[in-house]
Amino acid sequence: MCEAAGFPTSSLTCEGFVRQAAVTSVGIGMPNIPIATVPGHIGTKTAQELRDGIFEVTMDEVVTNLTVMPEAKAVASEPRARDIVVRGGLKAVNRYFVEHEYSDGLPIVPPTREDIEAFLRYTPRSPDESLGTLLPDKRAATIWSIAVNGVMAGCRPEYMPILVAMIEAMCDPVYGVEHSGNTPGADTLIILNGPIIKTLGFNYTQGVLRDGFLPNTSIGRFWRLYLRNVAGFLLHKTDKATYGNTWRVVLAENEDVLQKIGWEPNRVEMGYAAGDNTVTIARYTGGGSLSSVSGSTPEEMLPYLADSLQRFNNWQVTFTTSHGNGTLRPLAVISPIIAETLAKAGWSKADVKRYLFEHARRPAYEFERQLRDWNIRGVWDLEDDVTHARIPKVFFESDDPNRMVPIVWKAEDYMIAVSGDPLRNNAYVFAHNGFLGYPVGRKIDLPKDWDALLAQAV
Amino acid sequence: MAQNNDGYYEAYWPRAPRQQLMRELAPRLDSLEGKTVAQLWDQLFKGDVVFELLEEGLKARYPGIKFVSWRDFGSTHGGEEREVLAALPQRLKSLGVDAVISGMAC
Repeated sequence: MCEAAGFPTSSLTCEGFVRQAAVTSVGIGMPNIPIATVPGHIGTKTAQELRDGIFEVTMDEVVTNLTVMPEAKAVASEPRARDIVVRGGLKAVNRYFVEHEYSDGLPIVPPTREDIEAFLRYTPRSPDESLGTLLPDKRAATIWSIAVNGVMAGCRPEYMPILVAMIEAMCDPVYGVEHSGNTPGADTLIILNGPIIKTLGFNYTQGVLRDGFLPNTSIGRFWRLYLRNVAGFLLHKTDKATYGNTWRVVLAENEDVLQKIGWEPNRVEMGYAAGDNTVTIARYTGGGSLSSVSGSTPEEMLPYLADSLQRFNNWQVTFTTSHGNGTLRPLAVISPIIAETLAKAGWSKADVKRYLFEHARRPAYEFERQLRDWNIRGVWDLEDDVTHARIPKVFFESDDPNRMVPIVWKAEDYMIAVSGDPLRNNAYVFAHNGFLGYPVGRKIDLPKDWDALLAQAV
Repeated sequence: MAQNNDGYYEAYWPRAPRQQLMRELAPRLDSLEGKTVAQLWDQLFKGDVVFELLEEGLKARYPGIKFVSWRDFGSTHGGEEREVLAALPQRLKSLGVDAVISGMAC
């Protein structure tokens, strides 16, 4: 942005990000934008080591970057949108796709015209229509490319309306797709709601977060392939996940139970009508299961859930401070029998969220120690944020370091989904990635001849 | 005779066209002497310390150099990132900035 506005710029990059910077610079149209390197990683250096690195390496590079025009760099030419890139047998096609970084390492279904067109029949949109432009590669998110990657992932053609809605959500700036290669290696969870869950045979009961059902698994894989091929997130280049995970399978809510207990499904929380089919996407850095959430009342069950939410959302409270502008949205997936027990006592989803806001808390000194001392945010504290009205007053109601502070700004920031084994009293808590994957929902638009198309599906 | 079960496929490109045209970098400066340099920080990874060190070293090399602190811009990464970045070109112009140092990517 500074260069485009006419200001020569030197960006500072630790050694581990030099390659990412080089690839990202192509996406922004400035492949020769100059970088000044900070040797090693700044988080592990002594003060003297840091000083030596800045004075011996970084300083000269900054001066050069601002006073010497970097040489122009050529960008490799690419195929056109509808070019056939390889012809041959299954093994040859897969070898080509791996060699050209088009594949996640598993065999792909070759995207042939016949199969791509089968997907396109499930949307009234033009194949050339673009739903948006995705960073870091800044490529067009076209309907055609959705169909191609859907075929590759092993999806069935009738999943196409879901895939389109997912990519619409991916293109929403609120979601922040450009952060999908960040160091914590967060992965997207896709929450599915509506009658389409049963129509297309999604798993929404036992083992719901594990691969094993075609729609849940293949659509999860499609998401990662699309991030790779169209957004442009490649490991060792633009995807800087320190660890990362395999893609998450689609989480379908158990709407039978929700209807029975009178709780609103996720789609209503996201602003859609009760009968709509919807997807909600959000990125989570991790999480874990809660075994045996025992009790027969909310008061007996919920302390365990509240405690786990604040423990699993550990450093993620950075998104609760001014840095994240209160964008932390922890998710609790509770099993149907837990939801039924809570509802039986007259508690709504909103009641549960209010309880979590009031009880999922930690001492202020622990909150600040995590970010200021352990995550090296040296210019920040809760008092400063509250004094300057950057976060709610609840975070600094006294200067007692042992005062209990919440991990989100308001009760509505918690998200609750009901799914999993119906007769097990377990739950799963997700640690959210804040504005680096904020929850975004989209309605799934079905084609007018949906029923007829399904009847013809083979 | 063994049968070939590998099939034959014509596979399409799975990517999509890039939308960004290649752009020129801004003209470089003849020297940093007497120039005003803005510091942009995402408020992560000890950038405050790095900018102090760079300021010390560059002032020793170019006594007439001036800096506009990262404190004058707000964080370039975070909840208010889009607003801060959108305001940058005008802000840099109004502050008489000649060049920018931006960090930290770690």
